[in-house]
Amino acid sequence: MVSWQTRTAKLLGRLTVRQALKHDLSVDDMRNQIRRMERFFPGVPDDVHIELEPGLAHCDAEWLTPVSGATERVVLHLPGGAFMTRFKRAERLLLARLCRDAQARGRLVFYRLAPENPYPAGLNDCLEAYHQLLERGVAPEHIFVSGMSAGGCLALALMLSLRDHCMPLPGGAVLMSPAADFTDEPDQGSRVDNAKRDALLSLEQGDEIRRLYLGGRTELKTHPHVSPVLGDFTGLPPLFFQVSNTEILLDDSRRCAERARAAGVSAEVDIWDRMPHGWQALSFTPESGRAIARLADFIRERCP
Amino acid sequence: MTSSEPVGTANPGAAFMRRLRNDHAGLSRVLRTIDGLLDRLAGEPEAVQPILAEAFGYLLRYQHGYHHPREDRLFEKIRRKRPALADTLAKLEEEHETGERETAELAEALAAEPPDALRGKKGERLAARIHGYIQHARMHMRDEEAVFYARAEKVLGKSDWAEIIDGDGTEDPAADMAVLADQYPELAAHFDLPTRHPGRSETADPAVNAPHQLMLDVTDLYGGLLHEGFDLTRRNARRLLAVRGPIGLVRTVGAITSDNLRFAGRCVTRPSRWAINTGADWLIARVKPVQDG
Repeated sequence: MVSWQTRTAKLLGRLTVRQALKHDLSVDDMRNQIRRMERFFPGVPDDVHIELEPGLAHCDAEWLTPVSGATERVVLHLPGGAFMTRFKRAERLLLARLCRDAQARGRLVFYRLAPENPYPAGLNDCLEAYHQLLERGVAPEHIFVSGMSAGGCLALALMLSLRDHCMPLPGGAVLMSPAADFTDEPDQGSRVDNAKRDALLSLEQGDEIRRLYLGGRTELKTHPHVSPVLGDFTGLPPLFFQVSNTEILLDDSRRCAERARAAGVSAEVDIWDRMPHGWQALSFTPESGRAIARLADFIRERCP
Repeated sequence: MTSSEPVGTANPGAAFMRRLRNDHAGLSRVLRTIDGLLDRLAGEPEAVQPILAEAFGYLLRYQHGYHHPREDRLFEKIRRKRPALADTLAKLEEEHETGERETAELAEALAAEPPDALRGKKGERLAARIHGYIQHARMHMRDEEAVFYARAEKVLGKSDWAEIIDGDGTEDPAADMAVLADQYPELAAHFDLPTRHPGRSETADPAVNAPHQLMLDVTDLYGGLLHEGFDLTRRNARRLLAVRGPIGLVRTVGAITSDNLRFAGRCVTRPSRWAINTGADWLIARVKPVQDG
């Protein structure tokens, strides 16, 4: 049963974000709209401490630590936002709640955004953030990569890249509705079936997002670091996907998990009923708390 | 997931703490499995009840039978070394007792009735109770990890560990799938499911979903118009504020009027076009002969 809070959020999302995404909107307009919407998200709870510590060459990053004390676990979180925007407050709150539940420290990376910094700038920042954790003595098996939407895509690309360069891989990954297929080619499946049911996302601006993120080099769309669903998942750590059955991105998670399992990688998918894209960040809904608790359970299972 | 390293070797403290951590990993896995089944309890009790019954059996037999006594012995030692933590440790110990009572009650409630009796409201009430239990168990684990996981190895010495470590060597059945499948077959079958459906309690019947689909269309239709209306209002206001002189005013009013008329036209044509298309689809679906094969 979907809660009334989520139903309200879905209706509001359908009337605002979805409509905005359907129309031609400049990146600046989109960022301004998000900034206005962000005011409605609460700040990080008092029991989580935030420390802005850049330490990265091209972007900011923050440490989030539960005040009660954290274990060795570290969650490296890559925010979403179609590679061009981000809900800073919402993602910070999401990571704070995940860290509190998993008793972990969180590293929030504000990787560079397109179109000013097209691919692979964002991915390079994520790689740098991961290397920095290793340099600071965090054991790779204690690192969990997490990402929402575009951040989920980067999380998968990060692990594929680490594996390709024979670097130590993290202990696992939690992926919230990753946008893992940049080709947008399937003319069937969730991108068609859920085109009307998705409360937030719409494919109308897909070509424009692709052009801006890839800096015009659209031939890169089939590269595994851009569309991880086309990659080889061999050797990757355990993966945990969360997605809703009404999202256009549903098949991205399903197909990634299938490919991972075919490559001998442990991959689980939670398919939630009628949730809007990114519901984990809607802290006022009960389903968000439950979803985050399940992510934290997974992290605790894989990193005791 | 876990190692079955014998406790009491070179670094007994580290090995003992690892075992406790592994117990928490097993507990997290079982809690996540239970959580993933709760929404179906009231709708499909015959499928869900046996798995939940086994899960609560596991919680009672292993987590309350072995894991908590281990932790209690550890708490006792830490309390002697760090009296300042006495209140927190007492709270955690009390939670062990109340948790065990609650687990036993829930296990009994699950076993007391035939599965069919849990269909409907009764199942929903029990699911809500189990959900509360899971939340509480997660918070308890979190508190333990925060309070003593980081401290125990620093605070306790070799002789303390020797007194704490038990000789039974009982391992968490959840750490070994073969053992789990042997002792808790229903639970084991649900441990490694590739896909779960949290929150799904109703069957997706296209006939039931048709009005919902219609509602989504209407929301999209009027949402789109509303969005355009807001945009237009903002644009009009900006134009009016930018007016300089009477000629500018005339031009602006002209531009605003033409934009508004165009928008009014869309407000009339778009819903009627949608209504005609939807009506036609509905009619075709009914008139079209059913094709065999």
